[in-house]
Amino acid sequence: MDIQLQIDRTFPEQLQKRLDQNGPFCAYELFKMAYDTAKHLAIPGFKGLVTPDYLPHMEFLPHQLECARQVVENMNGRAILADEVGLGKTIEAGLILKEYMIRGLAKKVLILVPASLVNQWVSELNEKFYIPAVPQKKSYVFEQFDIVVSSIDTAKRKPYSDIVLNQHYDMVIIDEAHKLRNHKTKNYQFVRKLKKTYCLLLTATPVQNKLTDIFNLVTILKPGYLGSYEEFTEHFGRKKNVLKQEEKLQQLIQNVMVRNRREDTGVNWTKRNIETIWVEFSDEEYEVYLDLEKNVSHTDPFTALTLKREFCSSREACYLSLKKILQKNDHHLKGSIENIIEKIEGLPHHSKAKKVAELIRNSDEKFIVFTEYRASQLYLQWILQQHGISSVPYRGGYKRSKKEWMKQLFQNHAQVLISTEAGGEGINLQFCRNMIHYDLPWNPMRLEQRIGRIHRYGQSKDVHIYYLALKNTLDEQLLSLLYEKLDLFERVIGELDDILERLNIQNLDEEIKEIFARSKSAGEARIKIDNLTAAFHDVTEYPARGGRI
Amino acid sequence: MKQHDIHHFLRKYFDLNQCPVIDEQNGKITVRLTEELDRLLMNRPFYWEYMKKIGRQGEPAVITFISNPELKEEEGEWIHFGSPRLHQIFDSLLSQGKYTVVYEQTGTKGQNTPLIPWLVTNIKISYKGRQKKDEVLSIGLHLINGAILKPFMEIINPIQMDTAIADYCYTISPLIRVQSAYTRMVRFLETYLKEKDTEWAKEAFDEYQAEKQLLDHFYSVYQEKGEKEGKETRFEEELVQLKKRLMPCIQIEVVNGGMFYLSQHTTDHLLSL
Repeated sequence: MDIQLQIDRTFPEQLQKRLDQNGPFCAYELFKMAYDTAKHLAIPGFKGLVTPDYLPHMEFLPHQLECARQVVENMNGRAILADEVGLGKTIEAGLILKEYMIRGLAKKVLILVPASLVNQWVSELNEKFYIPAVPQKKSYVFEQFDIVVSSIDTAKRKPYSDIVLNQHYDMVIIDEAHKLRNHKTKNYQFVRKLKKTYCLLLTATPVQNKLTDIFNLVTILKPGYLGSYEEFTEHFGRKKNVLKQEEKLQQLIQNVMVRNRREDTGVNWTKRNIETIWVEFSDEEYEVYLDLEKNVSHTDPFTALTLKREFCSSREACYLSLKKILQKNDHHLKGSIENIIEKIEGLPHHSKAKKVAELIRNSDEKFIVFTEYRASQLYLQWILQQHGISSVPYRGGYKRSKKEWMKQLFQNHAQVLISTEAGGEGINLQFCRNMIHYDLPWNPMRLEQRIGRIHRYGQSKDVHIYYLALKNTLDEQLLSLLYEKLDLFERVIGELDDILERLNIQNLDEEIKEIFARSKSAGEARIKIDNLTAAFHDVTEYPARGGRI
Repeated sequence: MKQHDIHHFLRKYFDLNQCPVIDEQNGKITVRLTEELDRLLMNRPFYWEYMKKIGRQGEPAVITFISNPELKEEEGEWIHFGSPRLHQIFDSLLSQGKYTVVYEQTGTKGQNTPLIPWLVTNIKISYKGRQKKDEVLSIGLHLINGAILKPFMEIINPIQMDTAIADYCYTISPLIRVQSAYTRMVRFLETYLKEKDTEWAKEAFDEYQAEKQLLDHFYSVYQEKGEKEGKETRFEEELVQLKKRLMPCIQIEVVNGGMFYLSQHTTDHLLSL
């Protein structure tokens, strides 16, 4: 076999030139030292990682080293890093990048991460890995620096996009890559267009809703590896074939994806205490809740579901939606809604919010409160302030600098950080160990992402997780039907994507919402959720052969 | 490079660069840099620019490096293999120590001694397949009779060499020009490489072909469906990257090299090895 030879041709000319001009030449000792240096820097073997020798101050965990080794040795530098939240995917990516840099295979590198994480990536790469990464601030950064960390939204915007798409990157790293699961989005198209040799996609949830999520991610790494889109959906997308074909699919995916679970890592994780706190609506509040159920549900079950959830969160959240409905002229519910609004306006404090204030006031420690609604976020801030508790808001829509600032404020000054769902990803808050789920999301996967912000590698204390739930409401239904019954977090998380795929559930959020909206009674919802969870149990009790993905 | 070698290495480096050593303990060294080294290591071009502008002599920095783990807490910069500072020094060494002309110090007195020219190149061979590894090889070529020896630097290590020619010595002019000597070395390397195990390259090539098939298939599906727009260029781009990633190749790069003049006696001895 002929192997291509790339030969340095400039040396003899350069030497001849110097001989003709009588120099300059270096001292013999210097010449010998340079030769010795080259020997020191030569990498003697194909196998293994040399990075740990270069970073004696770092203590890598075994699963992190193993992950990096696999990607470099077996996956040829294109892989999905899909460890569970908090196991150190950034560290793994840093290890792999450093290894390629030391071996002289990566020089020009682009790292795309959520805006709120840009600074954190830059400092981790610089401090832990001595990788001179630079945050994108001005357009010239993309051209003038070799290793740039940017948000995807900035990189894909003009005039940056033209610059970025013209570069040849030795390596592209994308954090929170599950956001690329839809191949029709601009972000996805942009990433596919990047000229890249090696590529790492980081996500804790490679399959969030649909099996095609994984197809789209793999296609960024290796187009054709899972066939064309049509072939893939035909082979794996139809219900009948899923179980039969699955083993083959798992095998395929194992070749491009590394996934570690908490329990596989051999690390002693701090404990996670979960507590549900029950709250009762006041009589006046409950009356409004029942009104929503009675007067809206029969005509418009989806709207009623939304309104009820909002009302379980705050009057304000529900009030805004009601106002919006009224703005539509001649709404068939006009009369009953006006009636409800009137009652809402007369209500005192929300019972759940009061409970939160009480819970936090009894502690000196920091808390993170998650809510689904912005109106509730504002209301909570206000009510906490009334109780003499300092808090800062946090939203996904904040600019990078503002997110950083809010995190700093929380760390140094405020007792509470109130975050909306969008803020759940991307910030690490290991300095806090208490988390309150003020509202419960439909999709339990989201909860794990929230909890992962504090219960991660680097958390030194046991963490406390509180669910707040209103008795005799949707909260209770959600909690008892989904959360407790499934004890979803402790057992299924991490496997959930796998399970959904086997059950051919396209979108869990929609599936659950559908069940609640379509059921005429709590009893009916219970039966349907029972059926769903029974299917979950079946799948977990008879795991597919050949290991899980 | 082991941690305890670093101190010795630094000492030598600063001596060679004429930096006065202010203090030295076991694994801790304080030196005053020269202007040249300050510019190279301290990353403060504005300071030097400013000094030049106001017509003053700048003052090179005094810097302390600690390589002994037991002294890590003391004042100074902790330095280890992998630390950016050490690699900065490595880089500077590689560019400073690239070309040389040296003469054997024969020690013969009152007797005219001819010195035979050798071309010496130290070469880094990088094998790039699915991963990459390097080999450093030192080759010497006798510029009169074309004999080739390796590993040259290791073999002549005991011999005293210097950039100044010794008294009573004179050099013989080479018969083989540098350019053609280099070509001969490359041919020698090609033979050397042919005899080596190429399993790594085969492995990479097989992998390349397997991935290329997938790529061909993936894009042909879209071709059939008439979705050609933009796909053509993307396919080519993917192919370029695939080749870059998996097509096996060997890179030959000269670390440093120069003319070495050795006595007849030494040359005879080397050729008899």
